[in-house]
Amino acid sequence: MSRHSDPRDLVVRFSRRQRVEHLVVMLLFLLLALTGFPQKFYDSSWSHWIVDAIGGIARVRWIHRTAGILFAIATVVHIATAIVAVATGRARLTLIPTRRDFRDAIVTLRYYLRLSETRAKFDRFDYREKFEYWGLVIGAAVMVSTGFVLYFPLAVTRWLPGELIPVAKVAHSNEGLMAFLVVLTWHIYNVHFAPEVFPFNTSIFTGRVTREHLKRDHPLEYARLFPEEADEVLGLTQEKPEPAANRDG
Amino acid sequence: MTSRILVVRCLMLLVGAAPPWAAAAEPVPAGQGDPGDSACLSCHADRELHLKLESGETRSLQVSGEDLARSVHAKLRCTDCHAGMEDVPHPERHYKNASQFKAGFRDVCKSCHFENYTKSLDSVHYAVQARGDAHAPSCVGCHGSHAITRPALPRTQISRTCASCHEGVSIAYAKSVHGKALIEEGNRDVPVCTDCHHSHDIADPRNRSWLLKTPELCGKCHTDKKLMAKYKLSTNVLSTYLADFHGATASFGEGRAPGSERVAALCVDCHGIHDITKVKDPGSRVLQANLVKTCRKCHPGAGESFPAAWLSHYEPSWERAPLVYLVKLFYKVLIPFIVGGLVLQILLHLWRVVVNR
Repeated sequence: MSRHSDPRDLVVRFSRRQRVEHLVVMLLFLLLALTGFPQKFYDSSWSHWIVDAIGGIARVRWIHRTAGILFAIATVVHIATAIVAVATGRARLTLIPTRRDFRDAIVTLRYYLRLSETRAKFDRFDYREKFEYWGLVIGAAVMVSTGFVLYFPLAVTRWLPGELIPVAKVAHSNEGLMAFLVVLTWHIYNVHFAPEVFPFNTSIFTGRVTREHLKRDHPLEYARLFPEEADEVLGLTQEKPEPAANRDG
Repeated sequence: MTSRILVVRCLMLLVGAAPPWAAAAEPVPAGQGDPGDSACLSCHADRELHLKLESGETRSLQVSGEDLARSVHAKLRCTDCHAGMEDVPHPERHYKNASQFKAGFRDVCKSCHFENYTKSLDSVHYAVQARGDAHAPSCVGCHGSHAITRPALPRTQISRTCASCHEGVSIAYAKSVHGKALIEEGNRDVPVCTDCHHSHDIADPRNRSWLLKTPELCGKCHTDKKLMAKYKLSTNVLSTYLADFHGATASFGEGRAPGSERVAALCVDCHGIHDITKVKDPGSRVLQANLVKTCRKCHPGAGESFPAAWLSHYEPSWERAPLVYLVKLFYKVLIPFIVGGLVLQILLHLWRVVVNR
């Protein structure tokens, strides 16, 4: 196991299930955005172009609702399996935000602003990934719950005040816009345009990263996976990186 | 079978009258001594004079000289409209039925009123007439023939004209907020039939494309700031309607069910059409107390709190719909904060990468 090999060797980062989940959410997200925004921006000409191309607003809504139901199922399945996995001890809580994440964010910002030359050392998921993950989970909860309120207004108002319908509409449409903008800027930048990964960080599709990239982006995780290199890796990322002793020659 | 029987008496009378071409030099108002027109009237004043159609129906050919003299066409000569009738006896003309007889009138007006004639070809009246319905009006059906006067003098005349066929609508209109203002107060701001339906290119109001235009139609007056200020009415009614589910759906031109002729609720579905009342009127469909009944027309299971889902054309504010207002405000702050923050971080990262080089 512990053999020193080519830095281009691949390390498994995402399970098959996680890769499928990402693919499903990605496709549903695109479909929901495509059929949702024309409804929000009902008076723009591009909205009418999209609606006409799909074949009318009734069909657009049918697609939106069907995709919404699938997205809701994906969300529930994800949360349920996560709870079960954590409860049965089959998963580590690698995505829970910790105090370290806030410190990492500050360290990183200080580095960006050239206030310090220290770079934060990240574990399996860095604070940006955790932010995006929880943004997605909370966003999904908002979108799914408000989506169902808008889907079944008659049933909802049988028990709850009618004002909830326009509240749900405002929340659904704004949360959707925010999610779209975050994905468009932050996510696309981090997985496509950031100089470190340009043009494409394929790990969520292939499930694998090179040892080199894991060492660079998630040194703590790397040290955990390859304990024999822990000293070297953690040393590498210290404030004044000493040229590591070349143990392998 | 002879289609047209000129009563022989008419011919007899003509013998003593001046020939119509004798007075061509100086046009004189009809019925006021023009020898040509009085020649016509010498026969056509007779109430017995009639035309028998192939279908067996008869049409009176009587003309009142007094009506002609009072009409807007007083200065025209009979033969200006009735071309080809200079010759006596008149050339034979054959009409199958009343519908065909009436259709001929349209062509008579065409030579002077070409624009309105063209428009009328797009009208529901023309379409019905083309199907052979003798009740459908051609030009003279609304304007009259020899007694023709200005159609909108007085303005109340318009709904009276339409009422001759559309009586039920006219009664409803007279009781509506628009009709009452017109008839009781002589208000000139309110719409009469033709303001919404047009006069010559009257579309079939059950027609989907026409229905879809109704918000725009109502909006023409109800978004006019100056006009609405006079009556203390909101001009947000159209924008708030369009921003809601019904309006957005209608703006995409779709019905509730695919293929359905009905479209999502339009102005008239809640407010009523010809019988539209003031919102505060006790009988108003959109009065808070009556609203749930109106919603149930399309949403049969609607409960008592369902109408509150609609903000009654109000923009959400702290006073009205505070929860909607707060959520809206929340996102107004949150979206620029989150997205702006992330973009700033991206830019800082890029900057640092450049600096490192």
